[in-house]
Amino acid sequence: MVRGMFKSRTLRRVFRKTPGGRNTLTYRKRKPKNHVCSECKKVLPGVPRERPYKMMTLAKTHKRPERPYGGVLCSSCSREKIRKQVRT
Amino acid sequence: MIFEVGRVCVKLAGRDAGQRCVVVDLLEDNYVLIDGLTRRRKCNVHHLEPLGEVIKLKKGASHSDVSKEFKKLGIDIPKKVKAKKAGERPKKVRKVKVKPAKEEVKKKKPKKESIIATAKKELEKKVASVTAPKEEVKKKVSPKKKTSKK
Repeated sequence: MVRGMFKSRTLRRVFRKTPGGRNTLTYRKRKPKNHVCSECKKVLPGVPRERPYKMMTLAKTHKRPERPYGGVLCSSCSREKIRKQVRT
Repeated sequence: MIFEVGRVCVKLAGRDAGQRCVVVDLLEDNYVLIDGLTRRRKCNVHHLEPLGEVIKLKKGASHSDVSKEFKKLGIDIPKKVKAKKAGERPKKVRKVKVKPAKEEVKKKKPKKESIIATAKKELEKKVASVTAPKEEVKKKVSPKKKTSKK
């Protein structure tokens, strides 16, 4: 029988092949949710969906687009925001 | 037309977003050449927000002209700093022990002389030994000849 903690679905299940050729069930932590535009709540492209230990290994330029509000607002929302700042 | 040569704009898209620029040249429809705090590049009109100011500029003005006009507006364009060339890497030089090497050389010289001296002695011995047996050989040979004559 599996341990009680593995019965819940807090961990995701991954089939891995052992060196002996058997297929075994292993348990991994789930990935975080997609990063989302803070205004329109759309999924942000260009922001990877990884656990913090993997995000640490990535370069800064790989983690978000290189524009003002990159990684926070989507491109269309950031354009509107800059436009408003300029016009006022 | 809003996007004439000399129109000051703000860039909306890309990594230069939020930076001020000037229209320097009109290219195909909807595309203009911009310069200023942004990089000098071709740009879509939809990625620009025009401002009220218009600078007197020639069509296709150079970057230095644009920076002069921007100074009048109170905007300083920082000069591009050329990346320094990396100097030569320090090479590791192997330490060579000089003193012991000299001593070895000094020691070798007398050795050579001694070797020569010993070789000379041996040669003399050999010469002496060779001259002596020659007489013996002659003696040995002479009886053989006699036998052949018979």
